[in-house]
Amino acid sequence: MKTTAFLAWITLSAAAFGWTEHFTFENIATPPGMDPQVGAMDCMPDGRIAVAFHRGEVMFLNPTDNSWKLFATGLQEPLGMLVEADGSVLVMQRAELTRLKDTDGDGSADEYETVFDDFGMSGNYHEFAYGPARDTEGNLFIVLGVASNGAPMAPEIRGEFSEIGQVDFKGMITRETWGKNKNTAGRMYARVKWRGWVLKISPDGKKMEPYASGFRSPNGIGFDAKGRLLITDNQGDWRPTSPLYDVRRGGFYGHPASLVWKEGWNGGDPRLMDVGKLDAMQVPAAGFFPQGELANSPTWPVIIPAKGFPEGMAGQTVIGEMNQPNLVRVLDDEVGGVFQTALIPMFDGSPLGIGNNRMVFGNDGAMYVGKTALSWAGGKGITRIKWNGKEFLSLEKIKALPKGFALRFSQPLDSSTIKTLAVKRHTYQYHQAYGAPKKNEELLVVAGATLSEDGMTITLDVEALAERYLHLIDMTGLLSKKGEKILGSKAWYHVVKAPK
Amino acid sequence: MKQISLTFAAAFSVAAAAPDGKQLFTTNCSACHMLDQMVVGPSLVEMRSLYNGKPDDFVNWSIAPQKKRPSVIDMPSMVHVGEEGLRAIYAHVMQVSKGVTAKKQEKGDPYAAAPTHLARPQVMRIFMPDAGPASIAVALDDINSLCWDAGACRLRYAWTGGFIDGFPYWQGNGSSLAKVLGTVKYTEQASPFGKDAAVKFLGYKVKGGLPVFRYKAGEKMVTESYSPVSGGMGFVRSFSVVTTAPLVLDFPDQSGVSVTADKGKLAGGKFTLTPAEAAAFTLTYSLK
Repeated sequence: MKTTAFLAWITLSAAAFGWTEHFTFENIATPPGMDPQVGAMDCMPDGRIAVAFHRGEVMFLNPTDNSWKLFATGLQEPLGMLVEADGSVLVMQRAELTRLKDTDGDGSADEYETVFDDFGMSGNYHEFAYGPARDTEGNLFIVLGVASNGAPMAPEIRGEFSEIGQVDFKGMITRETWGKNKNTAGRMYARVKWRGWVLKISPDGKKMEPYASGFRSPNGIGFDAKGRLLITDNQGDWRPTSPLYDVRRGGFYGHPASLVWKEGWNGGDPRLMDVGKLDAMQVPAAGFFPQGELANSPTWPVIIPAKGFPEGMAGQTVIGEMNQPNLVRVLDDEVGGVFQTALIPMFDGSPLGIGNNRMVFGNDGAMYVGKTALSWAGGKGITRIKWNGKEFLSLEKIKALPKGFALRFSQPLDSSTIKTLAVKRHTYQYHQAYGAPKKNEELLVVAGATLSEDGMTITLDVEALAERYLHLIDMTGLLSKKGEKILGSKAWYHVVKAPK
Repeated sequence: MKQISLTFAAAFSVAAAAPDGKQLFTTNCSACHMLDQMVVGPSLVEMRSLYNGKPDDFVNWSIAPQKKRPSVIDMPSMVHVGEEGLRAIYAHVMQVSKGVTAKKQEKGDPYAAAPTHLARPQVMRIFMPDAGPASIAVALDDINSLCWDAGACRLRYAWTGGFIDGFPYWQGNGSSLAKVLGTVKYTEQASPFGKDAAVKFLGYKVKGGLPVFRYKAGEKMVTESYSPVSGGMGFVRSFSVVTTAPLVLDFPDQSGVSVTADKGKLAGGKFTLTPAEAAAFTLTYSLK
């Protein structure tokens, strides 16, 4: 009896400090009769929300009355969108990057211009295409997913076939013998061009530079507020858990299938290479989403704008997630020129739910979340999230220190609660197998936690930070001076470079 | 307050406790298995009907899954979870699925009547049978449809009857092709510009719902547009080719179709046009 009453009390107090006290979550009615799975979103210059659906429609949502207007139809699996200043819309679909133009001014697209399609298609279902992200010079970046051995290639492919691999072309296209060949084809494969690569395309679409390699299922690409090209990828083979990358020119980001398309590649089937060699080649992840705890299939990055959400979050990146009922907020840090991040759940325990594939902020400062499933676990439709202006306790900044972390919060803390902070860490084994359990997990002894004079910064003293370890800072026990719990109570900081 | 601190302290310890089936399920299984409906793999309710009282079978399957359902993607091995972990997952699955009934699976396409699907004419990019992966399905009207390949920049085939059933593709993640609803009446074996012409697709315009494809074949700029033969079976194919030399195109004779041209000379499988004629000419395909 006593226990029950106690648990009920805990539940109530948690609810009273939840996200719903500060944000509203509203489901927007999608066009009647249409498949409401969302593949891409952006905001039009006039404030309408452009949405691309799974079955190829591009529609504009008027946020003032929630009405819809059809703009384009017939696209295949649009998974990225970028609205241009003149109102034309760039859409990445399976086969190409397309510019949708309304040349006669009747409100719907009459021209579907191929901006870039110079990459291979094997016909395999898993070859999704993502982007574009635009840099300050107008260059467009796209990233191409690799094929899955859940199915063979189609008998007819687009572009060149790479002979590098244990299974020849005939073996790669034959359904009848696929059960045997799939084991040596690679869990994910890149036998057609530029699969697993980021491509940089000139503003006119005429020039392309293979920019970076090593991607698997990179369902998120975008520039952050500081101009870094962020790409998320999904846990799987060669991905112990889902990573976040700060992508630079020429980098290799861990999944080897793409290497067959590296200029002058003579390393043979990259899948059979020495793992240590591959590990030395790869650029470490700027962040890790621990599988099952924070995100299993992270999605698109978006930047929190100056108005609409709490001021301390402006300029920060938020990333969607398919399998856990939350989004993920990115806290930046830089050590010796290396960008590394702490990742924090956002809207966990709210009515948001799963399937959070795409997000965009409207001119009104509201966040629109578009959901999909594509037959995996997920959701459908659009949720609009608005902040009601009521402040709350959250972690705003994090800085790695030689022996711990400095944590900056949005509100003054109850100093008696800072001793509840706990720090754990673990690392991952990089290998060909699908996913990896945590390795070398350990609880760190908190030697000290001191609060700044304004009550908003904690200096957490543990021990020397370990490179390539994911450090969990558990803030669940923190209370603000007003007695409110923290929203987003766990931060996972991936230490790529430890400060000396 | 004091009690809360104690609770948290307990949560923080990393004792080597028994594996947490729920947590392991979330980490390893939840992307593909939901409680009461099939997604990528069977629901937990179905797993219960298959494995209740048979933990060993569950563990063995999870370690070495086989192909059981022809239209379903193979499950990867969960050997990395370990037997103890798999048993914990088993216990979790059996517990949460107890007394739950599966959601009725909708049969057929729930969005078949979407206005964008019913629109005629229409242009739809989707994986098509007997064509390259960058293909485009075009409904010219209620009877006539065709498949145009944006990779090879050429007409692949035309059919009469209905348009396509895209549900096999749309219900999943693209692992199945769309189905042609009707009878293929005409198949084109190669591009009229020659089998080996280097092509580059430039996109299409939509006029009254009908496509005007633009591409380069060798050095020639081509537009190719389609409209239905009014009231009949067939299609009208209009070209505009920019060229300074006479144009000779391949149009091998085929049974089942009769082709007439408004310009040029169509004979012996070759179609010859002057540069002026090539700037705008039309071929009418009557299908039987």
